[in-house]
Amino acid sequence: MRMTKLKADAQALLFLLPFLIVYLLFTVWPMIKGVQMSLYKWTLIKRIKYVGWHNYQNMFHDQEFWASLWHSTIFVLLTTPTMIILAIILALIANRNSRLQKFYRSVFFLPSILSVAVASFLGLFMFQPYTGFLNSLLHLVHMLPAGKEIFWLTETNLAWIAVGFLTLWWTVGFNFILYLSAMQDIPDEIYEAARLDGATDSAVFWQITLPLLAPITKTITMLQIIASFKVFLQIYIITGGGPLDQTRSVIQYIWQTGFRKNNLGYAATMSYMLFFILLVLSAIQYGMNNRKEAQMR
Amino acid sequence: MKWVYRLISLVVGCLFLIPIVWMIFVSVKQEGMKITSLIDWFTPPYSLAVYDQIIRQTKLMNWVWNSFFVAAVVTVLTVALAAMAGFALSKVPFRYKTIMFFFILAGLMIPGESVIIPLYQVAKELNILNSYNGLIFPALASPIAVIVLKSFFDGVPNDLLESVQMDGGGTWRIFLHIMLPLTRPAVASMAILTFIGSWNNFLWPFLSVTDDNLFTLPMGIPTLMNQWAEDYVKPMVINTISSVPIIALFLVFERQIIKGISLSGIKG
Repeated sequence: MRMTKLKADAQALLFLLPFLIVYLLFTVWPMIKGVQMSLYKWTLIKRIKYVGWHNYQNMFHDQEFWASLWHSTIFVLLTTPTMIILAIILALIANRNSRLQKFYRSVFFLPSILSVAVASFLGLFMFQPYTGFLNSLLHLVHMLPAGKEIFWLTETNLAWIAVGFLTLWWTVGFNFILYLSAMQDIPDEIYEAARLDGATDSAVFWQITLPLLAPITKTITMLQIIASFKVFLQIYIITGGGPLDQTRSVIQYIWQTGFRKNNLGYAATMSYMLFFILLVLSAIQYGMNNRKEAQMR
Repeated sequence: MKWVYRLISLVVGCLFLIPIVWMIFVSVKQEGMKITSLIDWFTPPYSLAVYDQIIRQTKLMNWVWNSFFVAAVVTVLTVALAAMAGFALSKVPFRYKTIMFFFILAGLMIPGESVIIPLYQVAKELNILNSYNGLIFPALASPIAVIVLKSFFDGVPNDLLESVQMDGGGTWRIFLHIMLPLTRPAVASMAILTFIGSWNNFLWPFLSVTDDNLFTLPMGIPTLMNQWAEDYVKPMVINTISSVPIIALFLVFERQIIKGISLSGIKG
């Protein structure tokens, strides 16, 4: 649009101001406030005293913190590859020409709109021993002998699998939609040409579809790693972080430190560590994308 | 071979649906029924007694209303603020535009979870903990909405806006009567995604609200569930009541939701 410089500045300010106020107040200012808080002993009620780098030194020696960070990492390692592979499979199913195309698209995405609390309690009750859905199903099809039960939630490894399955079911829909729309963007002519050359279905998938999905896969991987790293409620509800804190995520630990142990200063310190980890992950991903693009040119 | 594909596809599709179907069936069971096999969950007698009990005796409907009210206000305001800011970034030729763009873009790198502890302190100092204001205002700072809407506004040709300007249309008129109607599908998708995000938002209400009259569903549900760890029917009634509004919304707006996600890559 055309207007004088002064007028443009005034108009832009008017249009930007409402957003900038909430953005400065609730994102930028907390970012700065967090630095201050991390340098203090600070409780839920008030600021106690300046402690300098104490919280940071404390963090580096805090085994519970590193353990919780490792648990969140386990969750990332568990969910990222499975989430991507499953999303591709689901997108292949929903992308096939069939009368059920719309049905598949709806049911694969439907769980994603459920609240994390609903999904988690659903999971909790499905994985119960004796009367839970999954064990009953296994009994019904005789994959689990009568009188035997799998205790999904009380053994660390099984608890991870249970939480992983729940998360997969609940959130794979987002990745699925991204893959589906990427697949639909691939022009039909490419497939037709391949078929004319006598390519089999699996050759088409491995040599055409999958390479063409590489850019979106990179984006999804980054989004998934970051999303998985921020896991909290589904683990908290399903296992309570147990057994023996063996599945406690870093966000749960930050929350407990701040609100249960009444130590906001230290919680803010650990939040910064979380921020830097996520920032580095994003930066690595961003760098990877750029390098690849440079090579292509 | 073809029917094998089809069969596998169908089984996978049903697996995705089963937990939700099971949830609904359990919710209409009578309490205290003996369950010896999987089939027992799905067979009659059915009863709505527990629905009645939950709706009368708990604050669940109150929380449904809170979730709806907060989500509706957050959606309207987020989209309004983001559209205005996105419009300025896209079409108003002001100085420092690039700097402003990157200042807002940088917000995408700040995950909400990592500023939530100081945000609690800020909200406390502003005296908005335990209030609707506290649930609503921090949620409005959504840089992703600004960036996405800006990119849609970029697609509207400048010539068109300038011709309206020649006819004497002011900036507000161009924004309200040309820009928004032209980008309505994108704005609608953004609005629905914002609504679902707010409806399901857990961490911030969980930290900032302690008064159970102000609870939204995601934090009301765990509070309520703790009372009945042994029973299946009550929890599934709570789950079902909490999910029906959002499932209905999904069925109505499925196209916009899916389009919104594939265009913006927003993850819940």
